[in-house]
Amino acid sequence: MEQTVVDVNDLSRSFAGKPALDGVSFRATAGQVYGLVGANGAGKTTLLKHLLGLLRAATGSVRVFGLDPVRDPVGVLSRVGYLSEERELPEWMRVDELMRYTQAFHPNWDAAYARELLETFALDPSKKVKELSKGMRAQAGLVVAVAHRPELLILDEPSSGLDAVVRRDILDAIVRTVADDGRTVIFSSHLLDEVERMSDHVTMIHNGRVTLSGGLDEVRRGYQRSRVRFVEHFDQPPSLDAALAMEGGGRTWSVVHSGSIERFHHSVLALGGEVVESRDATLEEIFLARAGRSRQPVEVA
Amino acid sequence: MRSPIAAMLWELWRVTRAEAAWKQALGVVVALAAWLVSAAFAPVWDKGTASLVSISLFMPHIVGWISLAGLNGGRPGFPLYLHYTRPIRTAVMVGLPTAYLTALSFAIYLVSAFLLRAASGYPFSVLPAAAWIAALALVLRTITWSTRSMVVLQLGSLVTLFAGGPAIGSRLDSFPNDVGYPLTDYAVMALICVFCFGVTVASVTRQRRGDSQAAIARTPARGWREWLIDQFRFPCPTSSATRAQLWLDLKFNGLPVLTIGLALAIMILLSSAIGNPFDAAFADEIAARSSSCTNADCFYARAWPLLLTPLSLVLVLVHARNAFGIRRRQGRAYMSVFEVTQAHGTAQLALLKVLVRSVCVLAALIAIGVSAWISVPLLGDPVFIQVWGMPLSSQLPAITGAVAALTWYEQLSLVVLAAVGVVIWVAALAVFGAFRIRYSRRMTIAASSLLLAGLALALLVLAAHKGIVSLFVFYAIFAAARWIVLTAIVLTMVYVCWSGFAERVLTIRYASGALATSAAFGAAWLTVLHLAGVQLAGMSATNAISLVSPALLPLMASVLAPWSLSRIRHM
Repeated sequence: MEQTVVDVNDLSRSFAGKPALDGVSFRATAGQVYGLVGANGAGKTTLLKHLLGLLRAATGSVRVFGLDPVRDPVGVLSRVGYLSEERELPEWMRVDELMRYTQAFHPNWDAAYARELLETFALDPSKKVKELSKGMRAQAGLVVAVAHRPELLILDEPSSGLDAVVRRDILDAIVRTVADDGRTVIFSSHLLDEVERMSDHVTMIHNGRVTLSGGLDEVRRGYQRSRVRFVEHFDQPPSLDAALAMEGGGRTWSVVHSGSIERFHHSVLALGGEVVESRDATLEEIFLARAGRSRQPVEVA
Repeated sequence: MRSPIAAMLWELWRVTRAEAAWKQALGVVVALAAWLVSAAFAPVWDKGTASLVSISLFMPHIVGWISLAGLNGGRPGFPLYLHYTRPIRTAVMVGLPTAYLTALSFAIYLVSAFLLRAASGYPFSVLPAAAWIAALALVLRTITWSTRSMVVLQLGSLVTLFAGGPAIGSRLDSFPNDVGYPLTDYAVMALICVFCFGVTVASVTRQRRGDSQAAIARTPARGWREWLIDQFRFPCPTSSATRAQLWLDLKFNGLPVLTIGLALAIMILLSSAIGNPFDAAFADEIAARSSSCTNADCFYARAWPLLLTPLSLVLVLVHARNAFGIRRRQGRAYMSVFEVTQAHGTAQLALLKVLVRSVCVLAALIAIGVSAWISVPLLGDPVFIQVWGMPLSSQLPAITGAVAALTWYEQLSLVVLAAVGVVIWVAALAVFGAFRIRYSRRMTIAASSLLLAGLALALLVLAAHKGIVSLFVFYAIFAAARWIVLTAIVLTMVYVCWSGFAERVLTIRYASGALATSAAFGAAWLTVLHLAGVQLAGMSATNAISLVSPALLPLMASVLAPWSLSRIRHM
């Protein structure tokens, strides 16, 4: 039976009257990697902050390991590793002091693993945090987040500030190691290729609402991108069943659609067109379609 | 807003409007208070009182614009560094805020002084003082914006205040009365302004070209404070979370305050030690400058410890603020995410932070007190008689004897009262800081309501004094106000305790500790009341409750501190 690590039910939260999360439900089980995607201000960080107890649920409930992170911060935070989006670390501390300080909170701190990561990142333990570059600060933050081998690793925009090599090789490896050990990773990102590469599950948040959630393969299988050609010339996108987004103009259109393929084919035929080619949509295409940004026709030169 | 000048002015107004409002409100309150005092106890305006009132109007402008300084965390350097990347000439970038702030200070002081003069009927200086205040504030602002070294800033400010102050004072011969200045004075002020502007533009240009990033605030630990933190190099213990947190708070929050206290204590002792030889060496010169002293009683350097001691105590008590380590950046106040995501119970975290800061503040206060105590015999009686009107030096044995005559539990009560009093002070400041973040609007409303209530009570006192309101009505309103305040405090505490237990911020163990501390403090308080000759037995219930109520302060502080930390940890 799958062990539930995170259980968020009907969570809502507003800031100055503006809803940041609106009835969000989200569940994460052990041994899986969950990617949160969404535009800037969609509510990803707000959701992650609720998981850490940094924000109180206005309505709904948040349970991490079956505990309320606001009422039982010790019970939750001792089992969580967190890398914040701002990479906020005490600037006056040296890197080795940062390691020792964090170690004190986690009896299962893996000193050898921490040392190995520091060497991999070429971080000087005697350097002060304020002397580190943005990328090095992210690396230091990552080490303190993972070195105690947390049961739940929460990473808020982990790639921000990391170079391509670190992002692709090291971050991916860390995340996979955590998941393979039967632990859970939840990370937010607006780099959709990264989410596609790293996560098992994807949750899309748009304007504070979950617009899509499921296993990555399942999500991708549910959406196709088809190129369709019509006999008739269309100035505006033609109305097609299950179409979420359309690009193109005139007689040729690219359509991202979900649901039954047959039904889509029928609706194309009904308008006197044909499906030229069809393939699974990428996560970026799905995201853009769900976020409703590509409904406008694009002029074809 | 198409004009960058208009945009910058709008930004300056947005940043400073609240501060401008309270500075102006202070001027109105001072004028109103002066009117009340004049109406009730006239005539009261001697030169000393008038000087004190004038200084209360000067101070907010000498201190500078706190809201603007907050943009780079109160550190030296140009606070509007975000303009560096905008297509604006440095002269405009510096000139516009300089002109705006100078004009605003000038206008606020002018209105306040005019109101004060009209309300009190005393000929306070209006225009000349406003001009000098603006000029002095401009010089201090130039120093703050032109350097990023805290040492240069502090030395520069001291030199300006202690050299510039007397220079201005020599012009204000009839201070605080109004004087007519010759035009040359205004020419000198204009020259000072032009010079300051030139220096600031040159310095900000240098900051803009090379090292603008250094001005950007990230945490409170920069400059001299970071240097202090670096002086304490002891490894962080890894054996327990509590010890690690203790290490962090000691290094970051506690030991820097203690070091400041120790440095001040040494300064007091040194200035006392060199006071006598210095005054002896320059006795003739000092006597020549002052007509009021005989050569044997003349002093200059010996007065320094007397001024430095209370200033040091105030400075250390001010440093007791922000025990929770709240950070500020670009007008945003927040707790360190790194710290609050560590696996610590909120009550334990609050307790550790408040206790570490309190212990260090207490140690600093003790060091200053001991230093002052040792210094008293070195200074001799004349200086105390002239400054405080009492021969403190020769009264030391009497004070020592009085303390020695107390029983052990009376002495213990005094110690408990002082120690817990410091903890309450630190906790109260921490709670206030936390509430300002979490409930800023409600805090503003509450502060305004309290101010209005205070003014209403002052008017009531005046009305009762003049016989407009009967004493029965006066005492009835006064008693009702006390009961309302007491009920509000009790209800607030009940709610805080209930929600604290419901949210598991407070535990039975923690509450038991808080109760025990409160009981000890209560016993000490009652002992001290008894020592002061207060008899509760014959008093009315209202008076007895009012006198005993401070005994509940430790309980309030120990409940409110974790509760308020919980409010900013879990927003």
